[in-house]
Amino acid sequence: MKMEHIERPELLIIGGGPAGLSAAIVASNHGVRTLLVDEGVKLGGQLVKQTHKFFGDEEFYASKRGFEIADILVDEVKRSPNVLTLTQTSVIGIYEDAVGVYDRTKEKVFSILPGYILVAAGASERFLSFPGNDLPGIYGAGAVQTLVNQYGVLPGKRFLIVGSGNIGLILAYQLYQAGADVVAIVEITDRIGGYEVHAAKVKRLGIPVLTNHTLVRAIGQERVRGAVIAKVDEHYSPIPSTERELVVDVICLAVGLVPSVELVMQAGAELIYVNELGGYVPRRDFRMRTTVDNLFVAGDLAGIEEATTAMIEGKIAALTIVEELRNLDLSEEIERLQKKLSIFRSGPTSEKVRRGLEKMGIHYEGVSFQNVKQTPGLEHKLKPVIECFQPIPCNPCETSCPTGAIVVGDNINNPPKIDYEKCTGCGICAISCPGLAIFMIQEDYTGNRSLIGVPYEFLPLPQKGDVVLALDRDGNIVSNAVVEKVIKSKNLTNLVYISIDRDLAHSVRQIVMPESKPASYVCRCEDVTVEDVMRAIDAGFTDYEELRRYLRIGMGPCGGRTCSSLALNLLTRKTGRSPYELRPQISRPPIFPVPFASLKGGEEDEG
Amino acid sequence: MRDKSIVIIGGGIIGASIAYHLAIMGAKNVVLFEKNYVSSGATGRCGGGIRQQWSARGNVRLAMRSVRKFETFKQELGWDIEYRQGGYLLLAYTEEEAESFENNVKMQREEGLHVEILTPESIKRRFPYVNTTGVLLGTFCPTDGHANPHLANFAYIQRARELGVEVYTHTEVTVVETSSNRVTGIQTKRGYLKCDVLVNASGAWSKDVANMAGSDLPTESYRHQILVTEPVENFMTPLIMSFSKNFYIRQTLHGSFLMGQGDPDEKPGINYRTTLRFEKEIATKLTTVLPFLRNMRIVRHWSGHYNMSPDAQPIIGRDRNVENLFHAVGFSGHGFMLAPAVGEALAEMILTGKTSHIDLSDFDMNRFERKLVKEKNVV
Repeated sequence: MKMEHIERPELLIIGGGPAGLSAAIVASNHGVRTLLVDEGVKLGGQLVKQTHKFFGDEEFYASKRGFEIADILVDEVKRSPNVLTLTQTSVIGIYEDAVGVYDRTKEKVFSILPGYILVAAGASERFLSFPGNDLPGIYGAGAVQTLVNQYGVLPGKRFLIVGSGNIGLILAYQLYQAGADVVAIVEITDRIGGYEVHAAKVKRLGIPVLTNHTLVRAIGQERVRGAVIAKVDEHYSPIPSTERELVVDVICLAVGLVPSVELVMQAGAELIYVNELGGYVPRRDFRMRTTVDNLFVAGDLAGIEEATTAMIEGKIAALTIVEELRNLDLSEEIERLQKKLSIFRSGPTSEKVRRGLEKMGIHYEGVSFQNVKQTPGLEHKLKPVIECFQPIPCNPCETSCPTGAIVVGDNINNPPKIDYEKCTGCGICAISCPGLAIFMIQEDYTGNRSLIGVPYEFLPLPQKGDVVLALDRDGNIVSNAVVEKVIKSKNLTNLVYISIDRDLAHSVRQIVMPESKPASYVCRCEDVTVEDVMRAIDAGFTDYEELRRYLRIGMGPCGGRTCSSLALNLLTRKTGRSPYELRPQISRPPIFPVPFASLKGGEEDEG
Repeated sequence: MRDKSIVIIGGGIIGASIAYHLAIMGAKNVVLFEKNYVSSGATGRCGGGIRQQWSARGNVRLAMRSVRKFETFKQELGWDIEYRQGGYLLLAYTEEEAESFENNVKMQREEGLHVEILTPESIKRRFPYVNTTGVLLGTFCPTDGHANPHLANFAYIQRARELGVEVYTHTEVTVVETSSNRVTGIQTKRGYLKCDVLVNASGAWSKDVANMAGSDLPTESYRHQILVTEPVENFMTPLIMSFSKNFYIRQTLHGSFLMGQGDPDEKPGINYRTTLRFEKEIATKLTTVLPFLRNMRIVRHWSGHYNMSPDAQPIIGRDRNVENLFHAVGFSGHGFMLAPAVGEALAEMILTGKTSHIDLSDFDMNRFERKLVKEKNVV
C-alpha cells in the first residue's frame, strides 16, 4: 500500500511551502492519494524562517507569524490520512518516462509515476555581478534568513544589505533582533522598494537606507572584509568620487527572486517572460493549469508574490485536480477562492502582479489603478496618460493646458480628470507636471508599434534615431526603443518620444541610454566574467544558446541558476533585444548534481 | 562555377565546414541558412569523439582524411577547439566481437592506420582505472581523439563569415522551388533567393529538405541521449567505447566526463526529452567498467538525434533526381568527426566536379540499390 502510494500517487506535490501544503490538505480532504516531497529537513518552505507577523485575511492566518502558520499547516497535513510526506527528498527531473526523485538520506534515486503533478517549488535568489562576488561572506538574503531564523547561526557580525525590497527590509530587522550590526541597506533606485511600514521599522532602528546607492565591489582576499559603495548617476552607474568603504563581514544580496521553473520547463510547459512576475514563468490559466494537461503550478513559481496568495493558488489547483479525478463540481468553492484572490490583488501594492497576470490574459480589477485602457477608441490619437493617483495639492496640469481639457477642480487635492475630446495632444501638461507623472501615448503609431512621450531630465539628451533602453515603472529594462523626436523645454523637463512594441505601451515609462560598466563574474562555476560575455557578444555570439555553448555559461553544477539570468541581462543591455524575444536557458535534468552511485541499479532496481 | 549562387541548408558542423571550404576555394556567392542557432542540432549535442577505427573501408578513409585536417585545424583556422589525440580504446566482450575487431584492424592497417591490439593485461597496465572484467581484447588507435564540437562549429562559421559567406540564423528555408529537375530558388521569411546549387546539410531534417526539393532520402532520425559530469582533473586520455556493451565515454579537456549509449527501442522522430531509465542504465553499466565514476556527480543530461542511413554510412554527393542538389547527410552519429573531410570533398565536387582526397562514390545515394555493406562499429 505504502509503496504504491509513493510510486503511483494520484497527485504528486513538489514543494512543501504554503502553496504545496494548502493543496495537500485540500486534496487529502477529498480522498486523493497525495504524495508531497520537499527537499528541506522541515516542511513549511519559506514560512519557517519568517518571524514577522503577516498581513491579510483571517482565513489565511493574518497577524500570525510565518513559522506559526507553517506549524498549523504542517500539523494539518500530518493529520491528513491521504497525504504521505517525504522530506529531504528532491525531485531531480521530470523525465519522459518518470519523475526522478533523490532521497538525500539514503542517497538513492527512485522513480515516481504520478497521475497529476503540482509544482510549487518556489523561487531562487537573484545574483549580481560585481568584483569579488565569488568571495565567501556573500549570501543571498534568503540564505541568511534560513541560517539565522531557522538554524540560529549568525554568519557574521557586520552586515551590508543590497536591495530595499521587503526581503531586504525584513532581514535587516531580523538581523538587528539577532544582535548583529546592519551597517546599511543600499538601494540603487531613488525609492525604497518594500512596504512603507517595513521601511519605517528599520529606519526607527537607525539603520540607514541609502537610496541612489550601489555596491561597487567586495573587499577581501580569502573572505569578505568590507565593501565599497557609491552613489549612482541617472544611468545607475557609480559616481567614483562618492565611493566609500564600509567595514562588513557579510554582504547580503536581496535583489529579488526568480521563479524556479526548471521542472515545469522539463515537463514541456510553455514559459513566457513576465517581468512583473519575476521573469520567465509558466503560462497558466485561472485554475493554475499549465499548457501541459496534468501539470499545475502554485506559489512563487507561478509569479513572485506572497504566502497568502500562494495558499489560495495551491487550493485552487488542488480543487481543480480533485474535480477531474473524482468527476465532481467544485466550482462554487473555487469561485469563492477566486474572489478572495481578486480582493487581495485589488490593492495598489498588487498593481505589479495585476499587470503581470494581465499579460497572461488573467485579469484582476484594481480598485484605484487608473489605466489608459479606460480610453478605448482613442488608440490612434496622441494623448496624455495621467498616472497621478494620490490626492496631493497640485494643479499645474490644469493650469498649463491650453484647451482646458484637464480639470482638477475646486479642491486642489482632487486627482486630475481629462476630457480627451478637448485634448490636442500638445504635451504641455507632461512637461509641466512636477511629479513627472504624465506620459504621452499613441497606441497605434506605425505597424505594431506605439509612440510614447517620456519626461526626461538627464544629460545628454538622446537624439532622434538613437536606440535607447526602455524601462518599466520599476526600472526594469523591458525592451529597446527608437527615439522618434525630442522636444526640448525651457523648464528643463524635456519630452522624449520613443517608439516601442505595442504590447509594451502600458509598461514603458522611462528610458536610459545604453551603456554598461561591467566587471566580475557572471558564471562562478565556470569562471566566466562580464568581460568574457561582452567580448563574445562583440564577436557575434548574440544568441543566448550560442553564447552559452561558446563560454560554458550555465554548464556548471548550478545548472545556470545564477548565471543564466545575468547573462541574458547582459545580452539585453548590449544588444537592446528584450527578454521577450530571448529564450530562457533550457532546463536539463538533473536540476542539481546527483552521484552515479545513487542511480546505479541495486536491490530494488533491475537497472 | 565560383560565381554561382550556392545555398546551404544547415548551420551545424557539416554545413559550416562546407561553407568554409567553398569560400576558401574561392566561391563568391555562398549563403547559409540555419533555422535555429549555430550548433543547435546534433553538433551541439554530440560526444565530440574523432575516430578512425571503422569496419567499412570508406569510413576509414574519410575519417583518416578528417584527422589530418583536425591536426592542422588550429593552424589553418586560428581557433583552438580543444582537440586532443588521446586515442580510442575499443573493448571487445564477446568472441564474435573480438574476431571482427581483428579483421577490422587488418583492413585499417592496409589503409595505413596505426592500430594496436591490446590484451586485457596490457589495457590494465596502460589504463589502470579500467575494470577489464569480461574484456577479451581491446584495440587502440593513438591518433583517434576528440575536440569541442561547439568551438569547431563556431570556428567554421566565423571563418566562413570572414571569407564572405552570408550566414542567417533563425531563418528556416520553407520552400524549395524547382523546375524540370533543377532547384531554381528558395524561400525564407526574409524573402526569396535564386540559387544555382542547393546543399542539404540539415542533419536530423535531411529527409524533409530532400522532399521539399522534390527528391527523397532513405534516412530516419533517432533520439540519442547523453550526459555529462562535473569537471575533475584531467586523467583519462582515451575515449573508451564498446559496441556489445553499448556505451562510449570520454573526458573533455575541461575535465568533465561525457557519455552515452544507444537505445534499440527508440522510435524514429524528433524528441528532445530525456528518460530517467537512461541515467539508471548508464550509471549501472559504467560504474562497473570505470568504478571511479561512483563518486562523481551528473550535472546535465540531454538529447540529440542521429540521422541514420540504411547502412549507417553517410550520404554525400549529388542527388539522383534533382541535378543541382547535393547532400551531406545520414551521418548516423558520426558527422562531427567527419566534417572537415566532408566539407572539403563536397566543396571540391561542387566547384570542380571531382575530389582530390576522397572517393565519394562510396557514399553515393545510388548505393542503396546495390548490396549494402553495413557499418557495424556504431553505438
